[in-house]
Amino acid sequence: MTAVTAIAYNTVREALSRRVVLLFLFGALVLIILSPLFSFLSPREELTLLKSLGLGVIQLASMFICIVMGISLIPAEIERRTIYTVLSKPVQRYEFVLGKFLGGILTMLFNILFTVVAWRATPKQALDLWKGFMMIFFQMSILVSLAIFFSVFLTPFVNFFMSLGVYIVGTLSSVTESLMKGENRTVIQKGIGAVLHYLLPQFGNFNIQNKIIHPETRIINEGVYYIQNIGYAILYIAVLLIIAVIIFDRREV
Amino acid sequence: MARKMESAIKIEGLTKEYLNRTTGKMVRAVDDLHLEVYRGEIFGFLGPNGAGKTTTIKMLLGLIFPTKGDAWIFGKPIGDVGVKRQIAYLPESPYFYEYLTGRQVLDFYARLFGIPASERKKKVDALLDTVGLSRDGDKTLRNYSKGMLQRIGIAQALINDPELLFLDEPTSGLDPMARIEIRDLIIRLKQQGKTVFLSSHQLLEVELICDRVSILNRGKLLKAGKLDELLPSGRVEIVAENVSDDGVIAKIRDAGGIVQRQDGRIVVQQPDDASVNRVVDIIRSANGTIRSLIPQRRTLEELFVSTIEEVEKK
Repeated sequence: MTAVTAIAYNTVREALSRRVVLLFLFGALVLIILSPLFSFLSPREELTLLKSLGLGVIQLASMFICIVMGISLIPAEIERRTIYTVLSKPVQRYEFVLGKFLGGILTMLFNILFTVVAWRATPKQALDLWKGFMMIFFQMSILVSLAIFFSVFLTPFVNFFMSLGVYIVGTLSSVTESLMKGENRTVIQKGIGAVLHYLLPQFGNFNIQNKIIHPETRIINEGVYYIQNIGYAILYIAVLLIIAVIIFDRREV
Repeated sequence: MARKMESAIKIEGLTKEYLNRTTGKMVRAVDDLHLEVYRGEIFGFLGPNGAGKTTTIKMLLGLIFPTKGDAWIFGKPIGDVGVKRQIAYLPESPYFYEYLTGRQVLDFYARLFGIPASERKKKVDALLDTVGLSRDGDKTLRNYSKGMLQRIGIAQALINDPELLFLDEPTSGLDPMARIEIRDLIIRLKQQGKTVFLSSHQLLEVELICDRVSILNRGKLLKAGKLDELLPSGRVEIVAENVSDDGVIAKIRDAGGIVQRQDGRIVVQQPDDASVNRVVDIIRSANGTIRSLIPQRRTLEELFVSTIEEVEKK
């Protein structure tokens, strides 16, 4: 495991030295600057807007960072040939993939936390928001593993659009579900709907912004909902990474 | 002696084929390579660009996979992660994480070996000192020159105190002084009992430090053996004075010598050791004075060029 943590730590260090992270921090800064401007609204309107704005910005920036970072985590090492000196050491290929994944999600977690702290969303003030951040974190963890999965056999350019495409389709899980279950659909349409619904990650289930923003809406069996979706995320990530390792194990570098 | 003959690397029929995407044809980068490298020796792995040297090294390290054949390092099949604790690799023109400092990059590689933090610092400091980068250890690698990167590459290769080192062009980009330092370092490694697999274009250096060499071209092994065997000292040059008599010179020529007159001296090229004594006797019996008698060894460069040319002509 020492190799995994060393690679993860190095990945975080590399990611934080890249300009892409500045985008995240810039988003946080914009939020901080804009916060006082909403004081003219009634307290409830202000809070709703801030929640909506904050979660939206964090999710969008996270998605962008996850894809840009995830598609290059492994290919950049191959292209720069830094992988030669790593894999010629006693490092198993699965350790390399796992280290890269952990580094990726730790970078994302660091960025989310930094933004949240900058935004002053302390647990006491907004427990719901923390739940939102948690779900964004797991949603983005799936996205990082997806980008890593594609990166072991696709070019970064193709991977960017694949990851983005899967994310968009996966976010629309209610659409794929209605395609699958709709009454006036053909068998083929239902089949495509089922494949998309079950095969692609259901990113949409992690979007709980509306429930957080609007206090009148509530998640039924909230605890079960979180456990199910977090369990789903962990399982999905595990499957993606296992397949990625199987492919990467046979890949020449 | 028994230790010396123990195998460090054994290669049997190693072959690597690639698909050339331009022509759509399979290309053999390494063709049925058989080779054995013994423990404790410096083995020179020579060949022109594209000969298959780096491909062979990458197969031995498990970075790419052979199409056919087998190879073992310290008796373990290639790709065995355990054996990587005992080996090191310095790639040609090594690239490292440029956002890290020299110290941080060595610390990273030490972590990959699970070296505890207390030892890591000492080890990193010692290695920076060994490669002459103590003063530059806290600079980021993006500020390093090519020579400094090469030095940090050598330092990372020594982080685990390896038994076997694969060095691919280790003196590339270094100035003459640094080359000598690296050459001395390789000799010191051999003295410590390490095995060095050295791929290099610096034939003079290879000739100076290697015990055995092999020459590879277009993936095929053309020659392999000890330098003494590959570079036989057959020809002898004799320089003598006070020999002007045509009869004496005729006798030397009869003994197989090629004679040239130069400023009152004669320079005799004897093609082999066997007739040298006869020529010396002829000169001395004619009251001539032998000024020098020098065995003319072929250089590695000559051997390399002639070996490659011979194959290319075919």
